[in-house]
Amino acid sequence: MALNLASQKILVVEDQPIMRETIKHILNSFGARRIIEAESGINAITAMRIDKFDLVLCDYNLLRGKNGQQVLEEARHLKLLPVNAVFIMVTCEQNQDMVLNAIDNKPDDYLIKPFNRQQLLSRIERCYARKKYLTSIEHEIDSGNLYQAIHHCKKLLEQDDKKMHLQLLKIYAELTIKIGDFQTAEGIYQEILHERELPWARLGLGAVAFFLGYYDQAITTFQQLIEQYPMMLEAYDWLVKTHEMMGNDEHAVSSLNSAVTLSPMSILRQKKLAVLADKTENLPVAKKAYTATIKLGKNSIHGSPGDYSGLANVYLKSNAANEALKILYELNQQFHNDPEAKLRAALLETGIHQAKGHKELAQKAYEKVFKLNEQFSGQASRELRLEMAKTFYLNGNNETCDGILRDLIKTNIDDKLFIREIVNLCDAIIGDNHAETLIQQIKKELVDINNKGVSLFQEGNIKGALSVFEQAIAKMPDNHTIILNMVKIVIHDIKSTKADPEKIITAQSYINKAVKIGIPHNQISGLQAELDAIQYKTNH
Amino acid sequence: MPNTHMLSISFPAILASSVHDIKNSLTSLRALLDQLEHHYQDKKPAEFRQLEFETNRMNNCLMQLLTLYKIDLSQFNLAIDEHSAADILEDVVAQQSTLLSLGHVQLLTECHGDLFCYCDNALISNALCTLVNNAQRYCLNKVLLSATQEDDYIVFCIEDDGRGYPESLISSDYKQLPQIDLANGNTGLGLFFAETIAQLHVQGDKQGFIETDNNSQFGGARFKLYLP
Repeated sequence: MALNLASQKILVVEDQPIMRETIKHILNSFGARRIIEAESGINAITAMRIDKFDLVLCDYNLLRGKNGQQVLEEARHLKLLPVNAVFIMVTCEQNQDMVLNAIDNKPDDYLIKPFNRQQLLSRIERCYARKKYLTSIEHEIDSGNLYQAIHHCKKLLEQDDKKMHLQLLKIYAELTIKIGDFQTAEGIYQEILHERELPWARLGLGAVAFFLGYYDQAITTFQQLIEQYPMMLEAYDWLVKTHEMMGNDEHAVSSLNSAVTLSPMSILRQKKLAVLADKTENLPVAKKAYTATIKLGKNSIHGSPGDYSGLANVYLKSNAANEALKILYELNQQFHNDPEAKLRAALLETGIHQAKGHKELAQKAYEKVFKLNEQFSGQASRELRLEMAKTFYLNGNNETCDGILRDLIKTNIDDKLFIREIVNLCDAIIGDNHAETLIQQIKKELVDINNKGVSLFQEGNIKGALSVFEQAIAKMPDNHTIILNMVKIVIHDIKSTKADPEKIITAQSYINKAVKIGIPHNQISGLQAELDAIQYKTNH
Repeated sequence: MPNTHMLSISFPAILASSVHDIKNSLTSLRALLDQLEHHYQDKKPAEFRQLEFETNRMNNCLMQLLTLYKIDLSQFNLAIDEHSAADILEDVVAQQSTLLSLGHVQLLTECHGDLFCYCDNALISNALCTLVNNAQRYCLNKVLLSATQEDDYIVFCIEDDGRGYPESLISSDYKQLPQIDLANGNTGLGLFFAETIAQLHVQGDKQGFIETDNNSQFGGARFKLYLP
C-alpha cells in the first residue's frame, strides 16, 4: 500500500453517523490512527482550534449551522489550517452551488459522494503529491516573501515536469500580478492562450488590463468571458471591480446583482452588493442584499454588525423607523461585548430617535456615541469611523469630525477609492473643498516628514532618519512613500555597516509590507535585488 | 376546465432537491452495503456484485440527469483545463474498483504518462464511468480502457469482448432522443450523454464527438470519445 496515514492527524466532518463510520473505516485501512470526528461545523472549528490537522475531509451539506464552505472560510480566516494541510470538500454534486460560492477560499479538491475506498485513496494521494511538490512556493507565500516564492516557481519550471507545467505557470502569473509585475504576467497568459483558449488565462489577461488601467479593454474581456461561460463568477467579480474603479457604481450594482443571483449563498458578494446598492440609493436591492447577508452571517465568520446597521439605515432612508428599531434590537441580541457593535448600535439609536423626532433621546444616544468613540475608536473599521465623523459633524462637533477625517486620510492616502468616499461624504454634508483642503494639508505634512527623514539621512544621521520614519510608519502604516524610504534607508544602513541578520530580516519584512500594500513592482524589485545580493554575500 | 393548480416551488428546485435526497440515500445505502460486506470473509454472495452494479448505475443516471438538465438551462459551468489522460483513466478505474473486486472481469488500461487533454475532467470521467459500468455487464471477462492521440484529438476508447452493440446503437445519430429498448434495459442514455458533453469541447473549428462500432480488438463492442 503506497499511502500510509499512520502519522497523519485527520479530521472528518460529517453529520451522518453511518458515513463517518464508513470514512473512518477506509482511513483506518490505510493505517490512520489519529482521526478526530466532528458532526457539525462549529465542532469542526473547535477541533481545528485545538489540533493542527494534516488532512480535513469535510462534508458540504451539514445538517445544521455552518456548511462546509463556511467551515473552510472560517478555518482559513482564523489561520487554523497549517500551510501544508489538505482540505477536501465532500459534496453530492460536482458543480454549481458550492463550487461557485467560493470567492477566494477553494478547497484543495472536491470529492463527490458516493465514493469508494479507491476513490478516496486516489484523491488523498493526489492532493498530498501536489502539496508536496508546491511546498517550497507555498511556504514563501505564507510568510509574505513573494519574490522568493517566484524564485522557487521558476526553479520548478526549469525541471520541466509536463504534468505540473501549466499549474506552475498559473501560480507564477498570479504571483507576478501580486508583486505588480504586470508585463511578465501578461506574457505568461499570452503564451498559454497562444497554445489553447483557457478561461482562467483569459481572465488573467483581463486582470492585467485592469491593473494597467486599460479599463475598457478589461471590461470587454470580462464581458466576453461571461457571454461564453455564463456561470463564471470570477469574471463577474472582476467586472464589478472595474466598473467601480471607473466610478460607474450603477453598472457595478447591476453586474454584481447578476452574480448574486447565480450564487445567492455567497455572503461576501451579498455584502458587497448591499453596500454598493446602498451607495447608489438603490434601496430595494440594498434591503434585499442586507437581509440575505444578515441571514448568511449567522453561520459565517464574515457576518458583522455593519450588516445590521446597514439594513437599519436603509429602513431609515425609506422612512420606516420602526423597522429600523427592530433591526437595532436584533443587532444588540446578536453581538455582545463587541465594540464595533456597540458603536454601531449607538449611532443607529441616534439616527432613529432623530427620525422619530425624539430630541432628548437622540441627544442621550449621541452622548453615548461620543463616549464610545473615545473608548474604542481605534478598534473600529474605517467605514464605521467615516460614519461616526458624519454623525459628529451633524451634531455640531466639527472638531472631533475633523480629527477622524484627518486620521482616515492619513492612513488611507494611497487608497483612491476610499479617499473618493471621504471626498463624496464631505461634499455632501460639509461643503465643497473641505476634504480637499484636509488632503492638501496632510500631503504637505507627509512631504515635510519625508524631507526631514531624507535630510537627516543625507547628513549621515542614519539613526535619526530611521527613527523619523519609524514614527511615521506607526502613525501611517500603509503609506507608500514612507515605507519605500524606510526600505532604502535600512538597506543603506546594512550596506554601510556590518551585515546584521536582524537588519536583513527587518528590511525583508518592510519589502513584504510594501508588496502587500500594492507598491508597484518597478519601485520594489531593485531594492529586493539589492537585499538578495547582500544576503548572498553573507551566506557565501 | 383548465388546470389551475400551481406548484408553490419551481420544478427545477424540486428536481434538484430530489436528486440531492436520492444521492444522500444512495450514499447511505452504499455505506450500509460496505458494512454488510465486512460480515463475509472470503466468499461474498454474488448479489453484492449486482447491488454494486445497480447503485453505480443509479448514481451515474442521477449525475447525467442533473448535468443534462443544467446544460438545457444553460446553467452549466464547463470547467476546461489541462488534465493528464492517465489521471482520468485512474479515476474511472477507482470508481469501478469495488465492482471489479467482486467479479471476474479484468479492466485493463493503456495510456502514455505524457498524454494530456483539455477537458472538464469530472464530466469526462463521469461519461466514461457509465460506459465502463455497462461494458462490465455486457463483456465476457475483459474490458480495455485506453487513451491515445489521433491527429488533433485525444481519443478515449473502451473495448470489450462481449457480443457487441446491437444494430440500433451503432453509428446512429446519438443526438436523436434515445430509443427506449425495454427488453434490454438499455436506453442509450449513456451514449447520448457522452455525445452531448463531447460536443461541449471545442477548439478552433474542431468539436468533440463519439463513435461506436463492433471492431473491438477482442471482438466485442468498441466506444470512442474524441476530444479536440
